[in-house]
Amino acid sequence: MSTPDQSKGGRSRDEVLAGEYVLGVLSLEDRQKVERRMRSDRQFAAIVSRWEQNLSEFNEEYERVTPAASVYPKIEKRIFGDAAVGAHLWNSIAVWRSVAFGSLFLAAGVLVFAITNEAVLRPAPGKQLSASLAGQNSAINLLANYDVASGRLKVTPVAAGKPDEKSLELWLIRGSDPAEALGILPQTGEGEISLPPELHGKLTEGAIIAVSVEPFGGSPTGKPTGDVVASGTIRLP
Amino acid sequence: MLSHISAAEIDRVTKLASRRFSFKDGAGVVTGCWMASEEMEALIGRVAMRDQKAFAALYKSTSPKLYGVCLRIVGNRTDAEEVLQEVFVKIWQRAEQFAASEGPAMPWLTAIARNRSIDFIRARKPVADEIDAAYDLADTEPDPEEQAIVKGEGRRIDRCMEELEADRGRAVRSAYVEGLSYQELADQHSVPLNTMRTWLRRSLIRLRECMER
Repeated sequence: MSTPDQSKGGRSRDEVLAGEYVLGVLSLEDRQKVERRMRSDRQFAAIVSRWEQNLSEFNEEYERVTPAASVYPKIEKRIFGDAAVGAHLWNSIAVWRSVAFGSLFLAAGVLVFAITNEAVLRPAPGKQLSASLAGQNSAINLLANYDVASGRLKVTPVAAGKPDEKSLELWLIRGSDPAEALGILPQTGEGEISLPPELHGKLTEGAIIAVSVEPFGGSPTGKPTGDVVASGTIRLP
Repeated sequence: MLSHISAAEIDRVTKLASRRFSFKDGAGVVTGCWMASEEMEALIGRVAMRDQKAFAALYKSTSPKLYGVCLRIVGNRTDAEEVLQEVFVKIWQRAEQFAASEGPAMPWLTAIARNRSIDFIRARKPVADEIDAAYDLADTEPDPEEQAIVKGEGRRIDRCMEELEADRGRAVRSAYVEGLSYQELADQHSVPLNTMRTWLRRSLIRLRECMER
């Protein structure tokens, strides 16, 4: 589609397409095409974003209408899961302990990734990295599985106390840098956290993964506030 | 996940949040119902830190407006409440993206509500695809001049809307506010589909030219 005078034409096409997207007249498939392009083309994303700002003046036309009281509990359930199910699993200490003893990875305090030769963890796609996280005299042991292909870090708590009072938050600590939050482990008793691509390269040898006990919902400050119950240094075997 | 927010950013948002809010008995209950834009942004910052009470407060203060958006576009309460759930799940998921970016909160929240609502009605009642050979979706490397153009902004859109013919201005506005498709707009204005396409596309170009003057 490239022609010598395409620059100007391409730009006004982009303006129109971005405007059509923000107006909302496009088909679902076309909307998804536009959204894909926004992710790969920052210039185009900026054009969309400018239309959103420009046309947001029309938002004044939307009236305020109070939704039914039943809506928010449904949202909470979708985001935070079913508390009852979570409590049941959390309290099944015997189950989690048997999981812990059944695993081969009870290297206390040490996080061992099952790869051999790179400082940066970038093994073949589909490879799973496993680790156990444990602390001295800790009530909680964790098994971590990191799926390189999908960027998902799956953490299974082995034992835990009262579930409704706290959350377990996972942190990455690199050198003297402040802890970076990796996410909250869901109250369902099993944690699976998708790491953003920019973080994949940060899981390097010597970095520490730690778990702290935080108020329900996670650290209010963005930094660990509660006891660190488990930590492990990433180490190559 | 807060991984792509720097420590400095977290500090900034945290300080902002604690300065802007008063809390009842340390319970994290936001007092007062009026909320300025800055306060709303701080609240989203706290949601980005996975603060459930901040999320509840954000829901309380913004759900009537966002539900109004869903209801207007989707057209019935049952579906609008379903879409509103998706909207707040998205807000929870994307809060850290917002916290890391610039810009006011309400347009961002409203855009999420509009996008989810429009996706819903387009899935319910499909319309013809518009992107074809006429649109080149290939990435093109922008030249420096183009980079500069995206930033500049002269005037407000309402002044530029006045420069459009009345019926075209109404079409632009109802496309946005009600999420109407080209076909629905064409029916409403009793013009052929192609005419409506031309109206809207030319109006968009004229609006952009006007805003850049």
